[in-house]
Amino acid sequence: MSSKTTEPNAAATPSTVPTDGRAYWRSLDELAERPDFKEWLHREFPQGASEADGVNRRHFLKIMAASFALSGAGLAGCRRPEKYIVPYGKQPENSIPGIPVYYSTSFPDAVDNLPLIVETHQNRPTHIEGNPKYAPYGGAVNAFASASVLNLYDPDRMTASTRGRRRVSKDAVNDHLEALRERFAPTGGTGLAVLAAPSTSPSRERLMRQLRDQFPRMTWAEYEPAARDNGDRAATALFNGDPTRPVYDLAAAKRILSIDSDFLGVSEPGANGLQRGFAKGRKVRNRDEAATMSRLYVAESPFTSTGAMADHRLRLASSRMASLAALVAAEVLDQLGQERDLAQNLRSQAAGLESHQQWVSECVRDLLAERGGSVVLAGAHLPVAVHQLVVLINEKIGANGHTVRYVRKPRARRDNLESLVQSIGEGRVETLIVLGGNPAYDFPADLDWSVLRGRVNEVIRHGYYFDETGLDADWSIASTHYLEAWSDGRAYDGTYVPVQPMILPLFEGISELELLSRLAGTSRADAFEIVLETFRTDVSPGASRHDFNRFLSEGFLADSAFPAVTTALSTSNLRSVLARADFRSAAPSSGSLSVRLVKDTKVGDGFYANNGWLQELPDPMTKLTWDNAITISPALARELGYDVKSGRFLIGGIAAARGNVRGSREFAPVGELTIDGVTLRGPVQIQPGLPDYEVVIPIGYGRRRTGRVGSGVGFSAYPALTHTHGLSRTGATITLTRDTFLLANTQMHWNMEGRAIIREANVSTHLANSNWANEMGMESHSPPIYGKDKDMSLAEKSLTQPRGASSHHLPAFGEPAPNLRVWRDPEARAQFIPEQQWGMSIDLNTCTGCNVCVIACQSENNIPIVGKDQVARGREMSWIRLDRYYSTGDIDENREMLPADPQASVMPMACVHCERAPCEQVCPVNATVHDTQGLNVMAYNRCVGTRYCANNCPYKVRRFNFFDYNKRAIDEFYKGPLGRNLYKTEGGILASMQRNPDVTVRMRGVMEKCTYCTQRIQAARIAQKVKARDSNNIHIPEGAFKVACQAACPTESIVFGDISNTESAVYKAKDNDRDYAVLGYLNVRPRTTYLARLRNPNPAMPDYRKYPGSYEEYKGMQPQPRAVPEPA
Amino acid sequence: MANLFPKSANNVPAQIALILGILAVTTVAGVTYYFTPKYTRVGYMPTQPVPYSHYLHAEQLGIDCRYCHTHVNQSGHANVPAAEICMNCHTHVQRESPLLELVRDSYLNNEPIEWVRIHKVPDYVYFNHAVHVNRGISCVECHGQVNEMEVVWHDQPFSMAWCLECHRNPEQFIRPLDQVYNLNWTPDNAEAHAQWAREQVVAWNVNPPQSCSGCHQ
Repeated sequence: MSSKTTEPNAAATPSTVPTDGRAYWRSLDELAERPDFKEWLHREFPQGASEADGVNRRHFLKIMAASFALSGAGLAGCRRPEKYIVPYGKQPENSIPGIPVYYSTSFPDAVDNLPLIVETHQNRPTHIEGNPKYAPYGGAVNAFASASVLNLYDPDRMTASTRGRRRVSKDAVNDHLEALRERFAPTGGTGLAVLAAPSTSPSRERLMRQLRDQFPRMTWAEYEPAARDNGDRAATALFNGDPTRPVYDLAAAKRILSIDSDFLGVSEPGANGLQRGFAKGRKVRNRDEAATMSRLYVAESPFTSTGAMADHRLRLASSRMASLAALVAAEVLDQLGQERDLAQNLRSQAAGLESHQQWVSECVRDLLAERGGSVVLAGAHLPVAVHQLVVLINEKIGANGHTVRYVRKPRARRDNLESLVQSIGEGRVETLIVLGGNPAYDFPADLDWSVLRGRVNEVIRHGYYFDETGLDADWSIASTHYLEAWSDGRAYDGTYVPVQPMILPLFEGISELELLSRLAGTSRADAFEIVLETFRTDVSPGASRHDFNRFLSEGFLADSAFPAVTTALSTSNLRSVLARADFRSAAPSSGSLSVRLVKDTKVGDGFYANNGWLQELPDPMTKLTWDNAITISPALARELGYDVKSGRFLIGGIAAARGNVRGSREFAPVGELTIDGVTLRGPVQIQPGLPDYEVVIPIGYGRRRTGRVGSGVGFSAYPALTHTHGLSRTGATITLTRDTFLLANTQMHWNMEGRAIIREANVSTHLANSNWANEMGMESHSPPIYGKDKDMSLAEKSLTQPRGASSHHLPAFGEPAPNLRVWRDPEARAQFIPEQQWGMSIDLNTCTGCNVCVIACQSENNIPIVGKDQVARGREMSWIRLDRYYSTGDIDENREMLPADPQASVMPMACVHCERAPCEQVCPVNATVHDTQGLNVMAYNRCVGTRYCANNCPYKVRRFNFFDYNKRAIDEFYKGPLGRNLYKTEGGILASMQRNPDVTVRMRGVMEKCTYCTQRIQAARIAQKVKARDSNNIHIPEGAFKVACQAACPTESIVFGDISNTESAVYKAKDNDRDYAVLGYLNVRPRTTYLARLRNPNPAMPDYRKYPGSYEEYKGMQPQPRAVPEPA
Repeated sequence: MANLFPKSANNVPAQIALILGILAVTTVAGVTYYFTPKYTRVGYMPTQPVPYSHYLHAEQLGIDCRYCHTHVNQSGHANVPAAEICMNCHTHVQRESPLLELVRDSYLNNEPIEWVRIHKVPDYVYFNHAVHVNRGISCVECHGQVNEMEVVWHDQPFSMAWCLECHRNPEQFIRPLDQVYNLNWTPDNAEAHAQWAREQVVAWNVNPPQSCSGCHQ
């Protein structure tokens, strides 16, 4: 059932409805005039005419009085618009209006399909979460998967296929594909080539095989800009050429060394499993677990989330990473006393890294000390030879079979990119089919797409957007979204997962499988039939339709992962490979900078450029939104003329009091980076922690042709991407121009100023005194926060403390409302079951700052995007944010210069639901108050927008709708009501289909903030009460629901639940010495508390610090004990 | 020149001011008092596209509410039935009736009938039917004696104050669970029922939400 608003008397009214049936009077006259009025009174009221007459006469007179008081002012304007209820003609099965339906599917990716559960309301997908049943990821997703639901409703997606610029029907496309098949059939596909984006789909693989049978001379190559298959290639070469893949199990790892591998970010294959495994090794529930916590060594060129989590971080230019890997390998061999020759050779190739010798040797010693519990990972961008070295290292340190295992992938025949490029160059390709991807934008510069394009007669492009590639293609075939069409895929470990649609294609799209089957001329052109056949023939031979349905309901096929490799590593092969490889490198300098292109954490390789949620998502480290920047190190900045004292140019997230940072606006100088004659021009940002002569640039921006959101955002770094050098280059120079560029940065102040906001200590400190976190902060030496109740358990406190902090007496959380007469009776009162008390615990020890919670919250809670201009004014709307702080141990030093090599710490921050909320005390209209379950709630309809609450919030988590962000277009906020009403445009209506119907869409002038997903609590409460019926079993069982950020968190850092229940997970999480309240000394008693972070450095390391930087800064800021004067 | 205006004219501005003042106060008071759902909504009785009679179906034929409003005890929405449900009977009864033309069309063409919506809470209010009917609140408390209505009208004001009336005094409204859909039910013994209701509120732990989050999300 849905309702729609129509204008009164609109033409849409069915003709059978009497047009004079307007029964809602506009004015008294109308009411009185109706001849049937009196008759109706008597006839309709069953209780008795006289009584009804009496009531209604009074009613009548009152209305008359009111009407006369208005002197005849018509009530037409007050009239409620007539609305309609439109039930189905035939009710579909299993569809209950108002109850969401969940479907399993998976997020298509080049190497790792993420198993998903998608929430649909009336068949509209609205929210995406991971499938918790799939154990390796346990419900983890990444920001791309979570945000991909918005792409479905993107008004700028291709709505129909085009031939040139002319729209063509689906039939025309199919006819053309048929024609192609007939044309190439006689020649066996000579002149036919396919350039595809990689996919894990076995169905696509099967169709490709069929296509190859038809067209044996067809070329099929695949391209992904930031490819993630070097690890597989290395393993494949070493295991006798059989396709092999390394799968890491970080949960079992005690010592991890990452060689430029951002495995907690977005650029590594299987990152979700790595994140989750890593978090398991860092979960500390008690002192024993602290003692066995894993240790992470990171050598990296950019500053990533992985580096922020590191216990030891070595900043090293990307160009030197291969040498470092060689040094590590040599050190491993030397310390084991094996293969002296190879070690000698490798060590000689690592010349120039002598200054890091001690770092490496101590690290290796530690890895070897935990044989079987240590592992080394290499970044996906590093060359195959480095990955082969890593295979060797892992073999030597005993990781194989413990922390890394090798699995056998099915054989897949591909032509390599070079041969495709060559045959195009030689004019041997007549028709090129581009399946997905966007080569006109992201093809390597040295392969020069525009030239290649010119050599091909006909380019047929199948894609989701009409983008750069579509622009000069002969045919642009609109693709369906993955939530619209059947397909399948495999997770990183090979587990077979479905791609199940849950909505019919919104537009005239054709799925990839349909396109290929048309081309192959198979009898089954329907994607569902294709997937079913793959399931029955290739994946699970002999399976029935029932098995397929069970597979769909599970969301993955158990025991379908790739089998383990049984053959041994061929060491002779390895040795000869390594002997030939070249790991030498030269140190970069200001005249020859090392450049690292990274896959952007927000827009990926550029596909998500038109996704507003992702564009507005702050980067985990730089905190930039809506742009990319050339990030340089503080040292390079100084060489380029940056003066700390005057703050003469932009400091990335580093607020000098003066200079070019105003509010959230950074006026960044524009720099020009030149490399091999190619110049990139973009804003320059300083990133502490970068290697001195390293420049890091995210790819994926600067799209020339995309939708309204992504156009004109950032600059493209693809001109610097070459097939020969990949993502890591050397020999660049940078100059600053006199231009400046506005960047929207959401966090200007990077320093905690010695305050105990994020509390960190080393494991050694924790083992000596596990109560250290509670000995920090002002509350540790102020009178106890809960006064006489300080020794109560958390559960007791949550029920007995009075709500709010006003002088007006409010009952305690555990008491019934005083105005309920029944519960005033003491006998009844004794039987009262108090409300559940909600609270949250966030573990800073495992939070990696991956941003998924931010997107999940946005999707669940209908949070609008506001655009770069508004973000620059500090008006972003996201309810949860991630604060990133740098610390060096010395505040004064920080103030004088930019830290070259700081530690970074991340903290998620949303409304903490203070029991004594400061916002409530200043609201003049009681729009923000407490409910009986401990939630600090916002009544939007009461809010008059004074913003006092935001002003009084110590955590700065309240967000104000300065404009009608939902109703108006990003570029029309300042036009007010003169701007377009998005609710009435087609694009706006499309976008509003994503909205969660259980959450109010807020309008202008209203304050909003995290609600603890009150709609989910409410739904679970109601479900439990419906079940309870006439019993008092009304408490929601533990684990019955999760809040959106909790469900999305890949590391399970966020735990939510009933803190009055001592058996709940959240109670147990909070019942920990490391549990502390941010700004606890304010006595606001937040319901969200944090678990302090532990670092686990190795005392033998040269960069060992006894205390984390932030801890030292905190200690440094404490007043020194006053010297007691000597008695005279 | 003679005085154009008599001396009493001096009072006219004051009188005008006084009258305007009274008028303003009356207007504000009138609007505040009368422009409430109690006066503007109750009695709303639009003509529906199909002259469906609850009196005939629910009272005379005794069809249970849930025969048509199938999901009222499972979902927040009490769904209006699909034409299919009407056709369960009307393929046998009143097959040719011209009044059912729209229903037959809807069933055959799967095009919805546009029923005019009578009961509506604002968009920021999330009322849930299931939790009320499963915890002893009858349809009749909000919708009135629908079983006696030829044409459904808006019976209760649906204002927040009206909702809270019940949330503050649940013992006055709950009834045995097997009588929830019996709109004609009245307790045999009012006093005994009041006692029973008070006991049940305690036994079921009825503590209706009075906080904002109970209804606003």
